[in-house]
Amino acid sequence: MKKKYLFLLLVAGVLTFFSACKKEGHYNALIITGQNNHNWKASSPILKQLLDQTGLFTSDIIITPEKGGDMKTFNPNFSKYDLVVLDYNGEPWTAKTDTAFLKFVRNGGGVVVYHAADNSFPEWKEYNRITGLGGWGNRNEKSGPYVYYKGDEIVRDDTSKGIGGTHGARNEFLVKTRNSQHPIMKGLPANWMHGTDELYSLLRGPAENMEILATANSGNRGLNRPAVPTPAGAAAVAAAAAAQAARAARTAPGAPGAPVAVPARPSQPARDEPMLMTITYGKGRIFHTVLGHADEGGGPAMKCVGFIVTFQRGAEWAASGKVTQEVPFDFPSAAGAVLRPDFKEITLDEALANIGSYDIAKSTKNLNCLRYHIRKVAGDEQALLNIEKKMVYILQNKDATVDSKKLLLRELSWMGTDYSIPAIKELTSTEGLKDEAGFALTRLQSAK
Amino acid sequence: MTNNSSRREFVKRSAALVAGAIVLPQIIPSTALGKGGKLPPSDRVVFGLIGAGSQGMSDLRDFYRLDNQVQFVALCDVDASRLSAAKEAVDTANKSKGCRTYGDFRELLEKEKLDAMLIAIPDHWHGIIYSSVVNKKINVYGEKPICRTIKDGQTIVNAVKKNGIVWQTGSWQRSQPHFHRACELVRNGRVGKIKSIEVGLPDGGRGIGTPPVQDVPEGLNWDMWLGPALKVPFRGVSHWDWRWILDYSGGQLTDWSGHHIDIANWGADLEHTGPSEISGAGVYPPEGIYDAPFEYDFLCKYANGIEMRVANASRFPLGMGATWYGDLGWIHVDRGNIISASDPKLLEGEIGENGIHLYQSDNHYQNFIDCLRSGKPTIAPVEVAYRAISVGLLGEIAMTTGQTIKWDPVKEEIIGNPRASRLLSRPYRQPWTLPTA
Repeated sequence: MKKKYLFLLLVAGVLTFFSACKKEGHYNALIITGQNNHNWKASSPILKQLLDQTGLFTSDIIITPEKGGDMKTFNPNFSKYDLVVLDYNGEPWTAKTDTAFLKFVRNGGGVVVYHAADNSFPEWKEYNRITGLGGWGNRNEKSGPYVYYKGDEIVRDDTSKGIGGTHGARNEFLVKTRNSQHPIMKGLPANWMHGTDELYSLLRGPAENMEILATANSGNRGLNRPAVPTPAGAAAVAAAAAAQAARAARTAPGAPGAPVAVPARPSQPARDEPMLMTITYGKGRIFHTVLGHADEGGGPAMKCVGFIVTFQRGAEWAASGKVTQEVPFDFPSAAGAVLRPDFKEITLDEALANIGSYDIAKSTKNLNCLRYHIRKVAGDEQALLNIEKKMVYILQNKDATVDSKKLLLRELSWMGTDYSIPAIKELTSTEGLKDEAGFALTRLQSAK
Repeated sequence: MTNNSSRREFVKRSAALVAGAIVLPQIIPSTALGKGGKLPPSDRVVFGLIGAGSQGMSDLRDFYRLDNQVQFVALCDVDASRLSAAKEAVDTANKSKGCRTYGDFRELLEKEKLDAMLIAIPDHWHGIIYSSVVNKKINVYGEKPICRTIKDGQTIVNAVKKNGIVWQTGSWQRSQPHFHRACELVRNGRVGKIKSIEVGLPDGGRGIGTPPVQDVPEGLNWDMWLGPALKVPFRGVSHWDWRWILDYSGGQLTDWSGHHIDIANWGADLEHTGPSEISGAGVYPPEGIYDAPFEYDFLCKYANGIEMRVANASRFPLGMGATWYGDLGWIHVDRGNIISASDPKLLEGEIGENGIHLYQSDNHYQNFIDCLRSGKPTIAPVEVAYRAISVGLLGEIAMTTGQTIKWDPVKEEIIGNPRASRLLSRPYRQPWTLPTA
């Protein structure tokens, strides 16, 4: 018994030693949570997982006292950390903690402001200089201007009277990149569909030293994607617009079916509202994402690859000023939101293990993963051959679906080698795959 | 019947028409009558149409808007309902019931004698149908992009050269004054020596998932619609929306290559060459039957040092259109009469007598008719159209392979990359083959 404890102590000691040694390119992060009008018990472990799975962070979660609790016990040692992630919207901290936090940021500590953290501390001036923009908590014109995009121009001087912070019904919406050269945004699509979330709008705050990286249009209900010039696309847009008009009519005062005695939401001008921002405060770098409303288990807003990846990249930038993470293959486009059920990027092996059960109505994520890895190893014959062998294995697997084999034949048609040929020839006499196998064989043999 | 006798008969019939007698509504094409095939100025051009969809009918109406210069006598479509609607429209325009209809272009080519063919069909059919028509020595007004693959394009270009026909590509921006003006300014050095070019093309729209297999609409010959493409069950996507499926098109990228890349090439004098190096990346949809990239971004390097970046418009501050950047500034041009510059002075003043004056056309359709009569090249000849779409297609190959593609624009082949070379063509489904000139 004694021995075992000794061993554990030793292990703990070694671990402490390693975590105390700061490696270049490795960062310690502290997630602050414990009070929030959102489900912080759901969000904070997910945020930790997202940070840790980058391989760049070792992160801790610190939970404040409950509402009404003794805030004196909340006394984080900021100096141990490179990054603080704020998942907190609650009662004021002690002056001592406030001071320590500000000192941490001023001295170059990184901060990620996550979703409702920008609701917190409406009265704490310096906090609002760190978040740049905030909402609710009786924020109004005294909190600072509204900041948004009008066409391609940023508007920073809208000091008109009005509330700070609102959002419409939750929905998928299109996020538009505004600064494709910023390290956080480099290589991301110009537009991508975000998983169902609250679209924060009418935020206001000091907005000093603040740059907007991405916006979304608050007038949309997932429809501000560029119109497709197709009858089908036009019909869909028209139908959705009609549905929206119908919704508006239903909720108009006095309209039949209008909810009774529900205070009207503040009017919400349709404009391009900031979704992702960077702020500098002293030497500190802040990444502010309004995305990621947490449901139990995370929900679509947190499972969205767009949220996950911008959070991870934003965290690295805030901690270090650079982004070394690659853009993953499953980053969404305007075509539609992409969710990761378990928050992790699928690996090539997982994709290959699952691709055989593909049918055309399913997500092509496994195939997209495969294609991504084929492109990634382009030029490396051995690596390509290894992938090819696994593809051929699926082609020969009697349990693999016809649809999966069709997709694989398309890929092999250009990237395959002689290794694939016998298996493809075999399929030229298989019902349902003759054409695709013939296609692959012809193309494969067109250049060697 | 010899050409001479048919000529006499035509003259006779024409005389009868003038005299007000009732004649069979048979029209004999003028270019079929004599050698050399130039069209006398007084005769109407006898046209056929392959592809009676929205683009084909829009082009057809534009030809009829030219004061009594054309007559469509034969129409072809794989969708019977479109065909009958087109016949109705054409018969009304012709004030005659004699316009003939076909469900198979091969039958049309077998039976009809025509001056010209208007062709507006999905891209995967271009290689076969353009070449087949051209090999019949029929002049063509063909929609862009002129090919789905580089090999299709080379086959079409060779067929046009060999048969000596007049070819006009539907890249109508060339016949708009402000596009012409922008290109001419750039050619005359207003931006100085060109260093780089940005070409912004539309962003992809939304996906539709995978609609269920459904009954083919009555009258649509689905097997013929697919033609050389792989056989797939009908899921409600055929007309128009074929553009978002890689078997038939390369999406917005290839659809618009024939417009803004074409203009970029015109301004930079790259119309008869191609890039030597291409690299880039696309963003592909996560599900559904639309598989063309929704975003795309690739860089083409030319032997003369110019770099052309082609991407979906959201990636550029100036959005859609072509922008030439030189050591003296930039000029940007787009649809909607948009022309702008780093300094408005770059856009002022006339081009002097000794300056470079680009081919001018103020009506794309009239230009085709004029060239049929003069035998001169059109404003959007086939080789130039091929060079425009080949940029898009090479970009597609670079994005598919993830590699930097080295291209020999003279020999028109990919250098040292068999995998990428395989993507220069698409195998055809039996029994279809690419016709040789």
